[in-house]
This record gives sequence, C-alpha cells and structure tokens, in this order.
Amino acid sequence: MKVVGARIPRYDGVAHVTGRTTYVDDVRVPGTLWAKACRSPHHHAAITSIDTSKAESMPGVHAVITWKDVPLLEYGHLSALGIPADEPLLARDEVRYLGQPIALVAAASEAQAAAAVDAIEVGFEERPALLDVRQAFDADAPKIHQWGNWYPHFENEMDRRQIRKGDIDWAFENADTIVQGVYRPAAIEHAPVETQVCQVVPEPDGRLTIYSCTQALYFSLGVVAAHLQQPLNRFKLVGGTTGGGFGGKVDTATETMTCLLVLKSGRPVKWRWTREEEFLCSSTRAPWHMELATAVTKDGWILGQKMLTLHDSGAYARFSPYGLTKHSFHHTGAYSIPNLHFDGYVVFTNRTPTTAMRGFGVTSVSFAVETHLNRIANELGIDQVEIRMKNANRIGDTSPNGIAYTDPSTIDTLKAIADAIGHELPADYRTMTNEPRAGELLPEHLVSQVGSTEGH
Amino acid sequence: MAVASMAVDAATEILMPSSEDEAIAAFGDGADVVVVGGGTIVVPDMTYRRLRPSKALMLGRAGLSGITKDGSRVTIGATTPVQELTEMAAPIGPCASNVADLEIRSQGTVGGNLCAGEGSEAPRGDLQGAFLAVGATARSAAGGDVTEEPLEDFLAKRGERLLLSVSFDEPAAGAFAGLDRPHTHDYTALAVSGARATDGTLRLAATGAGSWGARLLSAEAAAGDPAAAGEAALQDVSPRDDALASAWYRTKVLPVLVRRVLTELKESA
Amino acid sequence: MNLTVNGVAREIDGSALAPLLDVLRDELGITGPKAGCHQGGCGSCTVLVDGEPRRSCLVPAGYAEGTQITTVEGMGPPEDLSPVQQAFVHYYAAQCGFCTSGMLLAAQAYIDRGGTDDPEAIQHALAGHVCRCTGYSKIIDAIAAAARGDSFDLTTTAVGKHTTMSNGGAA
Repeated sequence: MKVVGARIPRYDGVAHVTGRTTYVDDVRVPGTLWAKACRSPHHHAAITSIDTSKAESMPGVHAVITWKDVPLLEYGHLSALGIPADEPLLARDEVRYLGQPIALVAAASEAQAAAAVDAIEVGFEERPALLDVRQAFDADAPKIHQWGNWYPHFENEMDRRQIRKGDIDWAFENADTIVQGVYRPAAIEHAPVETQVCQVVPEPDGRLTIYSCTQALYFSLGVVAAHLQQPLNRFKLVGGTTGGGFGGKVDTATETMTCLLVLKSGRPVKWRWTREEEFLCSSTRAPWHMELATAVTKDGWILGQKMLTLHDSGAYARFSPYGLTKHSFHHTGAYSIPNLHFDGYVVFTNRTPTTAMRGFGVTSVSFAVETHLNRIANELGIDQVEIRMKNANRIGDTSPNGIAYTDPSTIDTLKAIADAIGHELPADYRTMTNEPRAGELLPEHLVSQVGSTEGH
Repeated sequence: MAVASMAVDAATEILMPSSEDEAIAAFGDGADVVVVGGGTIVVPDMTYRRLRPSKALMLGRAGLSGITKDGSRVTIGATTPVQELTEMAAPIGPCASNVADLEIRSQGTVGGNLCAGEGSEAPRGDLQGAFLAVGATARSAAGGDVTEEPLEDFLAKRGERLLLSVSFDEPAAGAFAGLDRPHTHDYTALAVSGARATDGTLRLAATGAGSWGARLLSAEAAAGDPAAAGEAALQDVSPRDDALASAWYRTKVLPVLVRRVLTELKESA
Repeated sequence: MNLTVNGVAREIDGSALAPLLDVLRDELGITGPKAGCHQGGCGSCTVLVDGEPRRSCLVPAGYAEGTQITTVEGMGPPEDLSPVQQAFVHYYAAQCGFCTSGMLLAAQAYIDRGGTDDPEAIQHALAGHVCRCTGYSKIIDAIAAAARGDSFDLTTTAVGKHTTMSNGGAA
C-alpha cells in the first residue's frame, strides 16, 4: 500500500490555486439564457391562478415553464428506498413553503429574466401555516400534507420509527432516578460558498448535456430522467468540482427545471441561485425536537431510556424518513442501553424542506445523548468521563436495532480524551478495554447484552 | 459584448463629476438621485434589485476624499475611505475599526456610512455615534446652496442633501464600547461613543439603539454617576428587534456600554 | 472604459455601475473571481485593484477604470507558483477551492505590505473571507508559512495532527 499513511498532495490543489478549477458557473456556452424563478411569498396558500402571459411577451424572454410543462410532476427521489412521491417539481394547486418554485423564466439576461418573473401573476388564498412540530399533533392543527401531518409510509404502513428493546417498564421500576431532558437543535443552513447552479446545453444529436453542482451525479441523472420521462441515455451529466455541498446539494432540482427551459427554448440555459435564494429557499439540516427520559441507578448505570423524536421535515418528505431511520438506529449513541422505548416521527411543517447535512440524522441524536449524559452525571454527582466509560459499548453489545458491535471505540476514545485534557481516571478505568463485559462490569441488567458478533 | 449584470438598469442616468462644484451641480435638489460613495451599500442593493435609481451620482472622482487638520480642527472629506479613520483616537478610531473588514473599509466611505438609509434588517450608520459624540458638523449642499450645521441636524435630512465633509474639534478624551459582531459583515448591533471636549462638554451617542445614531442626552445629564447614566440612557432610545439582536437585549446591554464609556472617560480626566 | 487586467490592457463596454465581478466574469471571461454572494459578504470575488484587495462584486466598473486589476489568473501558473500558492497546496488550504482565489489575493496583498506569520494579524487581514470547508486553520498556517518565507515540497503535504495556529506555529 503506497498511499495509505502517505502524505499525498490533493490532485486538484494546483488547479485550485491557479483559478483553473472549473465550477459550473465557469462553464461558458455562447447563447446561454439566464433562468430566474417565481417563488411563493407565502408559507401556505392555495393557488387560484397562474398567469404567465405578460412574462412570455417581455423583452428577451425565450421560455416560461410551469407545472404544465413537467411530464411527471411528482417523483420520489428516494422511491428506491420505499419513500413515495409527494412533492411537485413546480407548484400546481398550492404552495407549502415560502420560496417554493412556481414558474421559471429563461431570458437573454439575468435582469430581463428577473423582470419577467415580476410580471408573472399568481393568485393565492392564504391558509394557516403550521410552523412548530409540536403543534402538528393537535386536533385543531392545520392539515398541510396529503398524507396527514406526519409521514405514514414506514414499513407495514407504520406512522413512526419504533424501537422496543428489552423491558422498559422493568428499567423504570428499578431505577434510582429518572433524568429527563428536551433537546431542540435548530435548522442549519449549509451555506456553501458556491450557490446552487446548473447549466444545460442542447446537443445536435438531441441529448442534453447538464453541468451540475450536484453531490450525486448518478442520482441526479435518475431524477431528471424520471421527471422528464426520458431514457437515461438522453442526458450527459458533467459534474466536477462542487463549491461546497455538505449534503445541501443532494436534493437539487435545478437540473430538471433547467432542462425543461432548454427543451422549450431550444437554447442553452443557466440557472444560478443568488445568496438570498440559497439562504431562504435551499434545503437545510432539519430542526429536531427530542425528549429523553433515562432510567439510571445512583452509581451511574443506565438501565433504560425512553425517547420521543419529532423531526421537522419541512413541507415535503424528501429524504427525511431515511434520516430518521438512521437517527433511530443510533439513538443510544456510543453507549449500551439494553431497555429501550423509542418513537420517532417525520413531521411536516410549512417550512423549507429539510435534507441531509454532515451526519444526516445522527448529529442531532449525538447532541442530545451527550448533553443528556452530562445532565445525568451532574445529577448523580458522577464524573462525566467515568459515566461514559462505564456504559460504553463493548464487543458484542447490540445497537438499538440489534446489530452487535464488533469493535466499538468508545472506551479508547474516552481514554484518549481524558489524556489530552489532563483528566485523571481511577486505576480500573485506566485499564478498561472494549472486551465483552465481565465481573463487576456485567451487572444483571447488561447480561442480555453479552453477545457474539457472529450471526446476530 | 456588454455585460448583462443584474445591477445595471439601462434607464439609470450615471453622473460622475470630477470636482466638488460639479458634484453639487449634479446633485441638484437631490430628487431621484442615489449617491454612490464607495459603492459598498448601493451596489449590492442594485444587484438585488432593491434600488433602481433614475440618477446615480458616483462621487469617487469628485475629489471629496482626504483628511485635513487646521490646528485641532479636523475635516474629513465625504468620500474618505473608512479605513483611513482606524488609527484616530477614540471614539472615531475604534468605531471605524469596528466596521466590516479591511477590504470593505477600504472601499466604503465615511459619507456613505453616515448617510446610509435605514436598514430593514440591521441598523446602519456605524459611524454616526462616534461623530455625534465629538460634536461634529456636516457641510452639505442642496439646490446649489452649501451649509454647515450640526451633524444631528444634517442626519435628520440626509436623504435630501449631498454630504461634502464632516468636521470636529479633537476632543480632550474619547471612548468607545460596542458589542462584538458575530460576523465581520454585521453592522454594529449596539455601540456607545463618548467624548469630552477641551471645554469640558461631555457628549454620548449610541448606534444600533434605534434606526440611526442618537445622542444620549439623559445619560449626559447624569454622567457624574455612570451607573445612573446607563439607566438614564434608556430614555433616549427606542431599540427594536432586528436580525442582529432583540430590543430586549439592547435594553440590557446599553446601560453597560454607557457605564464603560463614562468610566473610561473619567479615568482619562 | 479602459483597465488593465493581469497586465493586459482591456477595453470594456457597458455601465459604469456594473460590478467589476460581472465585467471580469461575463465580459472578459476571467472566471477566477467567484460570485459567492454578490453582496461583499464572502470574499470569493476579491481581486487586487492597484495592488489592494477589494470585493469585485462591490466595485463599480466606473471606479475600476484606469486601474491595474490582478486576479488569481495573474498569480503564478502551475509551472511557476508563487510562494503563497505553493503554501496553499502544501498545507491543504483548499478543499472545494471556491474561496481560494479570494483568499490567495488577500494573502498576497497582506504579505506584500509586510504581513508577518502572526495568526491574529492574518485573521484580521482576511476577516470577511468565508470558507465553509477547511475551518480556516490550514489557510492561516499556509499564509503564515508564506509570510515567513518557508520553501515548500509540493510532492508531499504538511498535514499536521492539530490546529497549528494554537500551538505557536509548530507544523
């Protein structure tokens, strides 16, 4: 192995420092038209009319598209994972989030496209908006999604991710104390320095060349082909360097809409989002609402945990069911908790749809678990590092969804942290390993965790 | 091939005078004129189509930049870059250093900063507080007539007059205290400037406590007791919620900043 | 309007209010400076105007007339990289690379006016330049190394274990 452990310069380092790396907006194709979007000014409203006639006759305008121009209006990006379609490419009867695209214009200049967008007339009837996940379950909550206010299509048509492990009632009856906490990380905008951008070129042979900043080229190819109802080989996707994505450029729909403008105008088209659009309309990491109740003994054993998660999916499902699934599998963090009661919901609100960002679904639960552990340690008067090592995952312990760990690194990591910060550990902690539990480190409630890593 | 930039509107008449007299004439009575100092505020407003001026008066070549001293009287031309103020004594120096970052300070002008229109998401006019505290006067023109008046009076009609320069007498002592900015491009959420003139007159002013800089007259009256003055300052302002901070937060912090400035001024007596 | 870009005299059409960024990218085809925000908030558009760093998205073309503009394309080519470009390669200071052109020019100007390897001075000079990928520490390490006059082996990288800013510059 020549590369592992070696210090290899980036293959694109020299290109980056000489300004030669080509990002999508650096692709210059003569005759390219500029695209601009007409977007919803409301969180939630019915659309009563869409009139693009004025826009179509404005100077420099070559094409205007609405939902009528889309061969397959709704396509589930993760239908391969069993998540059905719920989101129209362009709004038809209603808008469910501020910034939702309704129509697009392609014109000779950016300014002309923007002026034409201003001339598109959309009739709205505002509806009450649901902006707080906690209210989604109220009897009088506005109903904002055709499936109801939370996603109902997990396996066996479950309306939540549910994990039941061991005997939670036993854990709560035998605890010395129950520690509760509510954790609510807010939405985070990826804010890549490169905004979303796409350039599409019609080729003489009838194919479309798509220059995209997507993080997932083949994925985007499938999405475009599905919405346009065309075979995959109609499109040539050219990726390259994305100017930062962090998960925010995996659900891009710019390619599809730009292709439609190209098909209608016969000209190359570029759509470059402004920074305002990127902040206001692009998908974010989701806000989460997590409630934990943990059954603990006075010497710091975690007997069991109840957890309720509300994941704010925004107006549409996108990848949220997948994110929540990962969240549920990891909801005990780096620690062994044998008795579990977890319910997680993908909740719809009239906010910008949410998506992946750096550790999709898991960063939220890590935040909650770690903060909660400190709360537990403080309440019990136990050292924050020791309580973690005591309850750490060990070889053979199982995850919330029953996967046995073969080589968990919790203990080694905590020892390294203690070392780095000069935190003294007692002798028996200094010698702890991740070997399966035995002796004092195997109290009754953890006997069930001792497992083989072969054939779980 | 001419650039098809979002910022450009073919209908905008561009005026680029090359002297103060030409600038005054071009400004006229200011009707429908947008004044462009360095461009750091106006150009993005045009790019985002918030501003579509029928006339744009670009002052960059009108010779209005520069700092001159006549004894202890300092005069700063309206198109002097903010960066040129950063080494001056408090309050102006630290106030200017607290504006944006090096590149923007080097392009943005004193006049552009002082005359910035009310921002919807954040208070503008970072420098107003410092110049009010040193008792500055503003020389401006409208309809061909040039007037010098207290800065307060000019600010009240800054949309109608063309700022040419500001002047002040160097104070005996000055101080500045402001909230740290979460990001270099945030306008100052809240800052207090104070100065004691050579004749002993004390002036206090805040930026970010309302839509533009305000003298803190009640605080000045109680200046002998910094803590009391801090509380009194709340009578002089109407803080609001915006993207940078809540009104509540500003009312909690303003007395602290006033106290710090007064304490510093006392110690330099 | 006439201006010089990377040593070459250019004539530009259009409005004196057009942002220099749009003139460079759309009229002159110089795509090194990037359109990250078009409001001066990210620094990816920074160019040198008569040797001084400015946000090209904020500079009206009329003010750029008669000046010497330097973009990243006017720094060294691949076969002759300037020290600060070499430093960025060697220190892994560019990941997606979108902020890099602006960072390099601001860094070059900082070094040209006598900037040292003091991390705080570097941060102050480059305040307002946003990077979403690197966390800034390697950018600061690279600029410090270039300011010191270090030489660089571009066949390897100086990827250290810790943020070197915080331990006094040890690589």
